[in-house]
Amino acid sequence: MKHIAPIQAAEDAPMKAPTRRALAKQQTRAKVLSAARRLFSEQGYEGATIRDIAAAAGMSTGAVFANFTDKSDLFREIMLTDMSALAEAMSSAAAGAASADQAMLKMFMAGYAFYQTQLPLARAAFSVGWSPQDGPALRNAPPVQILHELLLAELNRAAGRGEIDADANLELRAQMLFDAYLSNYPQAIFGGWNLQALEARSRDQIAILLAGARRR
Amino acid sequence: MGNSTTIIDRGGAADGQTAATPSPAPAGSRQTQKEATRRRVIDAARELFDTQGYEGTTIREIARHANVSVGSVFTTFASKGEILSQVMQDRLDGLYAELDRVMPHLRGGTVDRLRTMFAIHFAFEVQHTRLFLAHIAAAYDWNLPPGAKPMGKNTRLQQIIIETLAKGVAEGDVDPAISQQEIVDLLMAAYAWAYRLAAWDGADAAAMTEVMDRQIGLIANGFAPR
Repeated sequence: MKHIAPIQAAEDAPMKAPTRRALAKQQTRAKVLSAARRLFSEQGYEGATIRDIAAAAGMSTGAVFANFTDKSDLFREIMLTDMSALAEAMSSAAAGAASADQAMLKMFMAGYAFYQTQLPLARAAFSVGWSPQDGPALRNAPPVQILHELLLAELNRAAGRGEIDADANLELRAQMLFDAYLSNYPQAIFGGWNLQALEARSRDQIAILLAGARRR
Repeated sequence: MGNSTTIIDRGGAADGQTAATPSPAPAGSRQTQKEATRRRVIDAARELFDTQGYEGTTIREIARHANVSVGSVFTTFASKGEILSQVMQDRLDGLYAELDRVMPHLRGGTVDRLRTMFAIHFAFEVQHTRLFLAHIAAAYDWNLPPGAKPMGKNTRLQQIIIETLAKGVAEGDVDPAISQQEIVDLLMAAYAWAYRLAAWDGADAAAMTEVMDRQIGLIANGFAPR
C-alpha cells in the first residue's frame, strides 16, 4: 500500500473526505476551546459548566464530550497551549540578556505581559493548580516544566560565564525563582498591580534569590 | 442600649450539642441563635472536611450533619469557601497562641528562628495538608466573599516573620536596607511549595521542614548584611 505524506496528499487532493473530516473535527475542537476560554474567564473554573460551554459553542454536550474527556481536560488543554506560547515568549525575551538577573527579570515580565489581558484566566489556573485533584496534573505538565527548565538553563548559562557559582544549588534556586514568579500573580489579580509594580517587585526578589550564588 | 438583644451565653449549648433539632430562639436572642447555628455548622464542616475533603463535601451534607436547614447555612455563610475559611481560622488561632508563647524564647539567629517557626507550622498542619491546600485553592474561587481569608492573607504568619526580621535587624544579622515584605513574600512562596510536596508527594512534616530549611537558608543569603 502506498503511503502518501500528508502534505503531498493535501496538494494532490485537498478535498478528500478524511482530510475534510479531520478539518471539521479540528474546527469543532477550536470552537469548543474558544467558548471554554471565554466562559472560564467570565465565570471561573468551578462556575463554567460543560453544558454552558457547549451552548456557547453552539453544539451539544455530546459533541463536547466527543472531543474532551471532561472539564479538567478542556481546561488543561487551554492552559498548555498558553504555556507553550509563553515558553517561547520567555525564551526569546531572555535571549541576549546581559546578566542572570536581567534574563530572569525579562522572563518574569514576558509572563506578566502575556497574562496581563487575561488575568481572570490566570486566576482560574491558580484555582485549578492548587486543587488537590487537578493540581498535580497541571503543575507537572510538560509545558509547565519547560518554564521551570528555562529558568534553570539561564542560571546554568550564567554559571558558564562565571557570573554565578555552578555549585550554588541552581536547581533549587530555579524552583524558587519560578515560585516567586508565580507568587506575584495574586498581586496582579487581586491587588491590581500594573507591570511596573510587578517589575520592581520581581527585580528585588531575583536579587535576593541570586545573592548567595554570585561569584565574588 | 440595654435592650433585650443583650446576648446571653446559653451554657455552651452550641458546643458539641447533639440535639436533633435546633432549639427555638427565645424572644430577643436571634443573635444567640445565629451564633449557635454558626458554631454547629463549623463543627459539622470541620468533621466532614477532615474525613471526606473539601471538594467531596457539599453544603447539603454539612447542613444535615449540623442538624440545620440548608437555608440557615446560607444565611450564616455566603459559600462553602467561607465555611472552610472559618474552620481553618479556628485551627490557626490555636497554632498562633502557641507561637506567641514560644517565639520570644527561641534561641539562635534569625535563620534558626525562622526555621523553628516553620517547623512548628508543619508539625501542626501536616495532618490537614489537603485541607490547607483546598484552603489555598479557595482563595482563587470566583465567589470568594470579602469575609473569607485566603492563605496569602494569613496576616498572623506574616506579622511573625516581620517581627523576627525586625529582631534580626536589631541584632545585626538582617540587612536593614532589605525590604521585609519581599522576604515575607518569598518565604510564603517557599511555604506553599512545601505544602504541595506534602499533598502531592506525601511528604511528612520532617520532609517539609527539610525542604523549607534549605529554602530559608537560600533566602537568608539575600537578607544577610553586606
